[in-house]
Amino acid sequence: MANEKTDIVIVGVGAAGGILAAELGKAGMKVIGLERGPRLKTDDFSPHDELRYFQRQDLRPNVKRLPVTWRPNVNTRATPLPILNYGNQAGGGTVHYGALSWRLHEDDFRARSQTMERYGASAIPQDSSLADWPLSYADLEPFYDRAEYELGVSGKAGNLQGRKINGGNIFEAPRQREYPLPALLPDQSGVLFEAGALKLGYHPFSSPRAILSQPYNDRSGCTYCGFCQSFGCHVGAKSSILVTKLPEADATGNFKLVTGATCYKVNSDNSGRMTGVSYYGPDGSDNTIEAEVVILTPFIYDNTRLLLLSKTAKFPNGLANSSGHVGKHVMAHLGYKVFATFDDRFVNIYMGPSAQKHTLDDFNADNFDHSGLGFIRGGQISVTPADLEAGPIGTAISMSPPPGIPRWGAAYRDFFAKYFARHAGLMAQTENLPYPDQTIDLDPNVRDQWGMPAPRVTYDWRRPNELARVEFLVKKLEELGHAMGATQVWRTPIASAAPGAHHEGGTRMGSDPRNSVVNRFGQSWDIPNLFIIGSSTYPTMSGFNPTLTIQALAYMSADAIATRYKNKPGPLA
Amino acid sequence: MAKNDATRREFLVRTIVGAGAVAGAGIVPDAYGQNHDQGKQADAAPHAQQHRAGSEHGAFFNHDDSLTVAAFTDRLMPSAPDKPGAREAGVLNYIDLALSGAYADLQYFYRCGLAQLDAHCRQNYKQSFVHLESAQMDEVITALEQGKATEFTWPSAQDFFNTVRVHTIEGMFADPIYGGNKDFAGWRLVGFPGAQAIFTPTDLQNKQAFLRAPMVGLQAVAKDPMRRD
Repeated sequence: MANEKTDIVIVGVGAAGGILAAELGKAGMKVIGLERGPRLKTDDFSPHDELRYFQRQDLRPNVKRLPVTWRPNVNTRATPLPILNYGNQAGGGTVHYGALSWRLHEDDFRARSQTMERYGASAIPQDSSLADWPLSYADLEPFYDRAEYELGVSGKAGNLQGRKINGGNIFEAPRQREYPLPALLPDQSGVLFEAGALKLGYHPFSSPRAILSQPYNDRSGCTYCGFCQSFGCHVGAKSSILVTKLPEADATGNFKLVTGATCYKVNSDNSGRMTGVSYYGPDGSDNTIEAEVVILTPFIYDNTRLLLLSKTAKFPNGLANSSGHVGKHVMAHLGYKVFATFDDRFVNIYMGPSAQKHTLDDFNADNFDHSGLGFIRGGQISVTPADLEAGPIGTAISMSPPPGIPRWGAAYRDFFAKYFARHAGLMAQTENLPYPDQTIDLDPNVRDQWGMPAPRVTYDWRRPNELARVEFLVKKLEELGHAMGATQVWRTPIASAAPGAHHEGGTRMGSDPRNSVVNRFGQSWDIPNLFIIGSSTYPTMSGFNPTLTIQALAYMSADAIATRYKNKPGPLA
Repeated sequence: MAKNDATRREFLVRTIVGAGAVAGAGIVPDAYGQNHDQGKQADAAPHAQQHRAGSEHGAFFNHDDSLTVAAFTDRLMPSAPDKPGAREAGVLNYIDLALSGAYADLQYFYRCGLAQLDAHCRQNYKQSFVHLESAQMDEVITALEQGKATEFTWPSAQDFFNTVRVHTIEGMFADPIYGGNKDFAGWRLVGFPGAQAIFTPTDLQNKQAFLRAPMVGLQAVAKDPMRRD
């Protein structure tokens, strides 16, 4: 049993926690980071093994020991989700992610106002809690820039200080300067996608990714081996927190990482001030850290769970929950796929960085006119392998065969043998709206290996606005597949109601303590020395992957803590 | 493609390198042959020693269950000339090892599933699964897939079918170190080169099958770290 004292304790050392650890350590603050998994090295990621990392999810939480349950509505009993898509080691999800690194659009930060101005209030579904963010793109731009340059992101600008540039994403918000590294090379699926999209008058480009297209900051460039999503990078070219911010945090001399540490409670005193955290060690020991500031940066389920588990007489509804909004407005991306096969050529989609390789942004956010479409907001369209990784196990499991071909037997064998290396997947990653009844709470029936109630997600994306959006985007995918010259193009069955990837919400940020949990810095309205930083604070989700925005927010919060809070502890807003 | 070619390739893979190693550079994966006429020598080599289909178990399944699983997975991914299936890949061996290790929590699932499968076959065909004609086996599997086998309670017929199907895919395509994908049978079937450490800009622009480098398996990489990058 340990009892330590520190300035800052960070729970979960992933996309956000790693940045905060390094930046606050540089500011001279003593930081302890708690991480429930191990700290791995680049050498641990060689050789690549699809069964171990994709299929058996070696870099993700074990669903039996650390279950998360789901139910579509309050009238059904929740059952454990079969797959958890977040990280379970130092570096968190940045170790195994596909490394898509997007800045959100200007209108993503003001989705409610944008919709009302352009389409009127009646365009917003009545049951949606669509909201503006308490900050603008311009507020976050300097921190996006820092994240791209400090971590290493490859891409091509499409909007440089207002000047539109073909070949980049012309729909992106204006950036002050070019990406630090040139865009990654397209593989054959990217070449086909680009040609097909141009034929249709769209604006395709190589997706920006936190993967080095060239050597950078003493790290080697990408070898295009194709093992990105689900895998750690065997040369350290993926700009994960493991190879970027953790070494920086170590170098400050002010950072201590505790691995195998499962935080089970945030502690507070009678005045309502947070005093630190308690955690279980790998040996089952019960340990305490006293800290001046507590920062929660785990995946979104766990900060809601911790806030609820840490309730006291002073905070009977859980910490930071005077608004009653903790655990509400949960969102997740839906990745809907269409497959295209080519009889006259190979595609070899298993080559090159594996996830969402080439993108078109024409139907994302409010980049197109939604008048008369029956839905608001859009989705990112990309070309991608069946399960964002392209090995034969993932492809066989995720690429449902076209109509008329069974899922087994000689006909299936012949289909898969012929098209494994001759197919491309097209995916729409949709922005689902926030709804207050999409929630996380504590499961009364299921407990994890520590005896703590499992997080329970109540969620069903199949709402009229979302279904109409999917149908609209699927038609675009089919159109693209044909424009790419595919011999056959087919839809996959409609996805289940369960949440997909990239969860957001649960501790939403806002400008009013009555209807939000934290301010723009992730600081609790109720408790000034408690911060919650990550995608759980997103009021809306956008059709883009969340990680770079998590990282920009972490830089912004670290800056505010180091330059303002450190000297004058108290509310930052 | 001539049968001799397939036989010769099989011979080369087994005698020269063996499971889990690096397939020789001259070996053309079966799927690659779809648009490449390589390796057409007429000299049929003597067939390498065959493992007895259905005999690769011992870690978990009893004899009868091993025969049932071998027959069932063989129908899911059947063999044909030039097309290795579940038997050639050693899917039974993969599942047997997995159930004694990583998937030990599924032992009871398999026991109950196999018992229900047997009850379904005896009820409808008066004999066990392994004694059915191929077409009858396919009828049974279809009934499971569609949830129409009423003898199943837990696991449900569909859950059992889906699980065996996924495990068959794993046994076909996981690295040979796990006991399936014998001599890269699954990777040869579909034309997957394994975990290559690098693809060049030329590879990325190639509209043909990838043939530049031999297939790479985990054991070869573990033995020779220089292969890693």
